[in-house]
Amino acid sequence: MVFERNCLLAVLVAALVAPLLFGNQYALHIGVLIMFSVMLATSFNLIVGYVGEFPLGHTAFLGVGAYTVALLSTRLALPFHVAVLAAPFVAALFGLVIGAITLRLRGPFFVIVTLCFAEVLRLIANNWIDLTNGPMGISGIEKPAWAIAGGPLQQKMAYYYVGVLLAAVSLFVSYRFVYSNIGRAAVAVRENRFVAQSIGVSPFYLGLVTFVLAAGIAGLAGGFYANYVSFVGPEVFGFSFMISMIIMVLAGGKGTLIGPVIGAIIVVLLEEYLRDLKELRFSIFGLMVMAVVLFLPRGIMGFITRRHETYDRGAPGDA
Amino acid sequence: MDLFLQLLANGLVIGTFYALSALGLTLVFGLMRVVNFAHGELYVVGGLLGWALTDLVGLNFFLTLAVVIFSLAVGGYLIDRLLMSRVRGQGEEPTILLTIGLSIFLTNTALLIVGTAPQKVVSPFANKPLFLGPVVITQSRLVLVAISAAVILAAHLLIQRTTLGRSMRATFQDSMAAQLSGIRTSNVYGFTFALGAALAGAAGMLLSSIYVTQATIGDVVSLKAFVVVILGGMGSFAGAIVGGLILGISEAFWGGYMSTGYVDAIGFGLVIAMLLVRPYGLFGKQAERA
Repeated sequence: MVFERNCLLAVLVAALVAPLLFGNQYALHIGVLIMFSVMLATSFNLIVGYVGEFPLGHTAFLGVGAYTVALLSTRLALPFHVAVLAAPFVAALFGLVIGAITLRLRGPFFVIVTLCFAEVLRLIANNWIDLTNGPMGISGIEKPAWAIAGGPLQQKMAYYYVGVLLAAVSLFVSYRFVYSNIGRAAVAVRENRFVAQSIGVSPFYLGLVTFVLAAGIAGLAGGFYANYVSFVGPEVFGFSFMISMIIMVLAGGKGTLIGPVIGAIIVVLLEEYLRDLKELRFSIFGLMVMAVVLFLPRGIMGFITRRHETYDRGAPGDA
Repeated sequence: MDLFLQLLANGLVIGTFYALSALGLTLVFGLMRVVNFAHGELYVVGGLLGWALTDLVGLNFFLTLAVVIFSLAVGGYLIDRLLMSRVRGQGEEPTILLTIGLSIFLTNTALLIVGTAPQKVVSPFANKPLFLGPVVITQSRLVLVAISAAVILAAHLLIQRTTLGRSMRATFQDSMAAQLSGIRTSNVYGFTFALGAALAGAAGMLLSSIYVTQATIGDVVSLKAFVVVILGGMGSFAGAIVGGLILGISEAFWGGYMSTGYVDAIGFGLVIAMLLVRPYGLFGKQAERA
């Protein structure tokens, strides 16, 4: 807990000072993508790591958040902060409905039905042309005043710091959640459902609370992303975001808060580094998923904490 | 009335194809309790291999089918030996993740090799329409319905009547007891996965002679197969057939009478409703529920 908190604070400090070292537009763009990915990975990890189920349709909430911002700012001309703050609530509402249905199921059934919901939402985004403009998507999402002030470098810088703020808020809420009684009860359910039930913990209720929180964070990420790229199309519900989320959380280490953050940084940098390889990049990602499951089931953080724990245990003996 | 009959016929034909494409998935789940998320990708591999052999190499259709079944079976066996066997007995999650990883890998590797262009297997059957009263159906579809039925029957007989089938069922009922009575269970796991992969590949190859195959359709095929299998009940052959027919007919009627835009959403709607009412499907044997 303390180790994790210190790691998170160190990452936050690093994120705040990073622009001083890499002050160019491209690096800041990568930084914004990292912040977006950190939010997504944190959200996905809440369900994978703490509820212990695998929502393969988690892009549903990302998409709902993105479309919320797109529709509120283009149709109702609401300002950035109102639209972006509305996104997590709308997504959380979807999370409540979808979670209430899917959390009755477990294992493969849960995986498939969450995927079904994401597909249904994608079909709606594709076909309800009056609302969503269909496959053409919604473009021209208005950017707030701070994002169009100054030169391109300052604009990117502004988005970067807003991204850091939103990611920090997401992680702070997740941290408080995970180390609250509810979070600990969720871990108890994940570790042994029946023992947890026998001491009065309700798996369904806990799962639902976590699910709603995770949906909210994914919606926030989606809203931020929609405003940043100023365009939303049905592909936000698609599988490529899902692939990234899976790798970030698995490679980083599910069930820890710092793991997905590290995973997000690695995956975004890797995606940029391998950009020229196109499809081969995703082939490599597929191999990575299999390799992580086979050889590093607890991810990078699982590896590090194990080292850390053995070091701690070894220390008194050495003295 | 004529429209009704035509839609019903279309629904039955497509439903049979859905049943065929879901067969491998339901088999692997029913016996191994493994949900193969790479099922649709194996279907695509079968379709693309069939296209390459019939169109580029110019091989005979049935010879190609044999080659596809054999290669997918070998591939499936290797997947089980190299990947699935390492996480056996660790619960559902690692196998789900492994097959998701495999599906990502197969889709993008296929994209890398053949690109996004839709491909079609060269079919020896005429595309001539047949008129049965008010109903029109093409000859090639009718032949494929017959082949699909034959494949489903063959798979059923393989599992129920042969020694291999018996040792498969024995292994998955109680692997320790099966081992004690001299069954090489590790091989049986491999053969079961091989059979599932071969059925997926055969379905891909057969259906690509009517529809086109693209490297990217794997996840759609997987999803439809999941819908079929959930509607009928995971692991039941009769369930796969009934689930396939339900899906085919409801899609045909929805497309014919309502709108074509949301046809693909019908299956998902049915699944969501089904899981709320009867979570183990129409023919599911298991009664436990979370």
